[in-house]
Amino acid sequence: MVRIKHRYLLVNILYPDAKYSPLRPAATAGDDIPYTVQFRRPSPDQMNGGLLMRLIRDGVVELFGDYGSGKIAGSLQVKYFSSATSTAIIRVSREHYRLVWSALTLTTRLPRPVDQPCVIQVVRVSGTIRKAEEEAIRRARLSIRRAEAAAKSSSVSIAGTIPTASTAAAAGDDDFDMINGIEDPDELGDLDDDDDG
Amino acid sequence: MFVLAVDDGSVKKPQLDGRFEGIQADRKYFLESEGKSAARCTNHAKELEEAASQTPAVMFYDLNVPYSANEAHLSRTLAFISELGYNVVALNHSIVGKLPPQITCAIPDPLPFKDVPLKLEIRRRVTLTLTESYQNARLAELARAYDILAVRPIDERTFQLACSSLDCDIISLDLTQRLPFYFRFKMLSEAVKSGKRFELCYSQGVLGDSVARRNLISNATQLIRASRGRGLIISSEAKAAVGCRGPCDAINLATIWGLAQDRGFEAMSKEPRSVVVTAQLKRTSYRGVIDVVYGGEKPALTEKGVQAADASQGQGKGKTKQQALTSQKRKAASEAVAGADARDEVAAKPMSNREAKRRKHQARLSGSDAKEGATNGPVGGGGDTAPASAEGEPKESGVQPAKEAG
Repeated sequence: MVRIKHRYLLVNILYPDAKYSPLRPAATAGDDIPYTVQFRRPSPDQMNGGLLMRLIRDGVVELFGDYGSGKIAGSLQVKYFSSATSTAIIRVSREHYRLVWSALTLTTRLPRPVDQPCVIQVVRVSGTIRKAEEEAIRRARLSIRRAEAAAKSSSVSIAGTIPTASTAAAAGDDDFDMINGIEDPDELGDLDDDDDG
Repeated sequence: MFVLAVDDGSVKKPQLDGRFEGIQADRKYFLESEGKSAARCTNHAKELEEAASQTPAVMFYDLNVPYSANEAHLSRTLAFISELGYNVVALNHSIVGKLPPQITCAIPDPLPFKDVPLKLEIRRRVTLTLTESYQNARLAELARAYDILAVRPIDERTFQLACSSLDCDIISLDLTQRLPFYFRFKMLSEAVKSGKRFELCYSQGVLGDSVARRNLISNATQLIRASRGRGLIISSEAKAAVGCRGPCDAINLATIWGLAQDRGFEAMSKEPRSVVVTAQLKRTSYRGVIDVVYGGEKPALTEKGVQAADASQGQGKGKTKQQALTSQKRKAASEAVAGADARDEVAAKPMSNREAKRRKHQARLSGSDAKEGATNGPVGGGGDTAPASAEGEPKESGVQPAKEAG
């Protein structure tokens, strides 16, 4: 039987601007929180999987028109979304995952109810959802460790550096792990059980 | 291109004594067993590898981050870029139109705020928009003030200039405009062969409107096709943190535009690295062949060195002969003294006859007051032109011993 092959994109939503609240001016908030924590802060409550779906569909329509929209419509699904860690796992068909990837790259703002500037970074592309989940767990652990290290050092310096000298030994290598090896190679594909490869 | 040593501090220099010991041992055991010495070589190679592995194997470069004087803004942007996974960043200052008469680096060194991300290396770059013709000398001056020089041609003529004759590191184009010329492989490969790289900036397409995006995609596709994927670098031109994208995201965009996946990866890591290193070599070493990394301690002046110093100050008898010998003696002396001293010696221009005479006169004045009146005569003749003074030299040197004897 021919199985539809998918790609699972593990995605982080980063907030580059200072903490945005309609009640308070943005500039003064969060001066002593280290940058790592600021950028990877939790998403607002109105953000959920459905909103992300809408975001992707609109993005693909804008970039690739009806053709792209039709191609991905069948298999596009947000498998997992956590607003606490601003992480999502998105399923796309294997042939057209790049369309969705570029639509995510070219988004600059979260849609209407949320309406904040954001940067979406695809962290891992894999053929099975299990690998994506494992990667998500590993990154969550790493980011906790880095946040702790940055918080420790921020008692010494204002708005801490990404890793400081004292924590570089502990957290330095982790940085490398965080950005390495994003994509499982296209040709092999991670093994769905009865994949033809 | 053979590089003697590039000191960028990332690779631990091997200990000289250990290697020397190793070489001695090798010589000793060479006849006995080649295998043993080979093992020693591999051990040493392992040491070097361990030293090199302290730096990450894959480095991502973002060579176009516009510099803004707003500290908080820049600090946030740099922190965000470091968070996305970049290792080396070049802050860009752009110049349009006339160059200022005094060329200084507009980007302060070190950066004025303290929370610069530790893992991020920062370089300084200038982008010059070629709206008018620039003298090569001024360009060279500009290049020396910054780490990287990029040019931005605006039409076919300036593009041709940039590809062939201008001495720059990066050729950048404003890809959000409709360019009035087509890219040709011959011109692009000529530039790439001389070490220049073409830059694809993605941020304007990300943040800009639909027209900008369309032009960017069109121009990028043409550029990628004409360059056949080689000699390209990808960079953001992100004016704010929200315009930056992760390295793999940018590579994916380039893939959509026609660049193969592995070429895209090169464009993010290998090609910008070559730009940075080549630019550094151009500025610090002699044509990328020789660079004095550590010239050695200044040793105590040897006998030969003292003699050379005397000769160069123009004291002593038989001056023409001395003059003729001085240049040779200086060279010989510099070889004897060795190291940083040598560079200074060789770099100093050989002294002119008039200068030598003037110094001799001063030395004599300071030496003894009795001869003051007597030396006025020869010194008056010293104001003549070089040939005349050269003729006057033998006479004077003939006179001099008599005077000194007197």
